[in-house]
Amino acid sequence: MEDNKNKELEREIVIERLKQTPPSFKISLGLNDGKFMNRDELIEEVKNESDIGDEIINIQLSYLRAFKKGFFS
Amino acid sequence: MKYVLFSRPKHDITMEYLYCYSKELLKLSESCGFYIIDNEKESANKKNIVDRIIKQKPSLIIFNGHGSPKTICGHKNEIIISSDENANLLSNVITYSLSCSSASKLGPEAFKQGAIAFVGYKYDFAIGKDPDSEASPRRDKIARYFLEPSNILASNLIQGKTVKYSVDKAKEKMRDSISYLSTTQDFPEAIHYAPYLYGNYAGLVIIGNSESSV
Repeated sequence: MEDNKNKELEREIVIERLKQTPPSFKISLGLNDGKFMNRDELIEEVKNESDIGDEIINIQLSYLRAFKKGFFS
Repeated sequence: MKYVLFSRPKHDITMEYLYCYSKELLKLSESCGFYIIDNEKESANKKNIVDRIIKQKPSLIIFNGHGSPKTICGHKNEIIISSDENANLLSNVITYSLSCSSASKLGPEAFKQGAIAFVGYKYDFAIGKDPDSEASPRRDKIARYFLEPSNILASNLIQGKTVKYSVDKAKEKMRDSISYLSTTQDFPEAIHYAPYLYGNYAGLVIIGNSESSV
């Protein structure tokens, strides 16, 4: 139960972060027919809880954790 | 004569980026005295590559391609190497796999079956793209942050540096770029690319003998 709540919170945090991304942003991630995805497509993947969506959540949260641990100092 | 084998599919836009960046690695391999086995475009298929690995026994294999935890793919995503079928083909070889997540299961299996070293990514490999350089991957000012570290890694391997040195140099470059992207005001997208480059950094691993070289 607690795990589900945490996962939902993580998903919401990542979606809010992705909403700040400029529309010109493009990224290739995973197979996805070799296409580059834009901001809205990334948000859809996270909302749909797809494999790529889960990967996006992991990437965003790992980056934030690294930031907290002082990776950039 | 030492052989280096390249697998360079070009069937979608992401593969085109990898293909363009790998051109300079072919030139470097030639100048370093390697015999080059270049499986490009349609020739990056399972039959060709398996045959050439068995016959030529390359010292170094560089795969561009889509991937998964258990596979590396070639032209039109045909599975070339799979941990369930033919990871033994990478025995006695140093492999660099520029593909998504193949270091998570295929890499360890290849090492178990005799690979000297397997260098690759445990997670999905990301590439950012400048929307203004549609026609020219090499002029893409965003993609270079993602692909130059990979070329630094491969170039060092080709020049006979150890696997550890090659990966360290690539990670050094990634670290500098992550810091730059995280703090610069030069363009508004920069900070949004940083997490994805960090994903490449965190996912890049060596499985096997890190002090080996070709």
